[in-house]
Amino acid sequence: MDVRIVQQAFDPQAEIAAFAKGRDDAGALVSFVGTCRAETGGSAVDELRIDHYPGFTEKEIARLAEETSRRFSCPDLLVVHRVGAIRPGEAIVLVAALSTHRSDAFEVVRILMDYLKTDAPLWKKETGPGGARWVEPRSEDYARRKEAEKG
Amino acid sequence: MVRLVFLGKFGEVAPAGLAEIALPGDVRTLKDLKDWVARQQPLLGAAMEATRTRLIVNQCVAHDLSQAVSDGDEVAFLPPMSGG
Repeated sequence: MDVRIVQQAFDPQAEIAAFAKGRDDAGALVSFVGTCRAETGGSAVDELRIDHYPGFTEKEIARLAEETSRRFSCPDLLVVHRVGAIRPGEAIVLVAALSTHRSDAFEVVRILMDYLKTDAPLWKKETGPGGARWVEPRSEDYARRKEAEKG
Repeated sequence: MVRLVFLGKFGEVAPAGLAEIALPGDVRTLKDLKDWVARQQPLLGAAMEATRTRLIVNQCVAHDLSQAVSDGDEVAFLPPMSGG
């Protein structure tokens, strides 16, 4: 398992290629990449800033990844989460799972993303022409997280 | 001394002077500390009151505000999180 917080822009395709290289033990690779939108709720976004709590953030994301991985037959998991100032179009998060069969890989990625939305110690602030605002999870994010607990 | 860390929107209203404090004599628990912070900085107190606030002590989640605070601790105040 590889869980990383990165300060600089990263290339999701290169990360996925390195993660999957030589892994002929897995029959399925599923990945999700979340990117910074240029517009949200009808307002333009110039920059997204993500704050973290060094040490604690890494530890908590690793714990969420380990717990999710244990629930399924998932031999390996990769999580890369960006922090700092992010421009529209840049990757924010990458979650990739290697598994023997596709169903486990799909589920691990989906459920871990649901957890990251509400439980990862990260704080997003969007800045646009209209000013800045802190982003908080939406009610559907909490609903999905509740569903994720059931599996 | 106790180190205080304010994350996200709390960090914007927390003055630098609150980053490290001598443990006040009347602060024994996390609840005492939270109340003391709110008295020192009413804007921060209002921000914490208006949302769900989680407390982390020495990088471990505090589940109970009656938990003791000791000299040398690091206490972090977390507003609702938004990753992904």
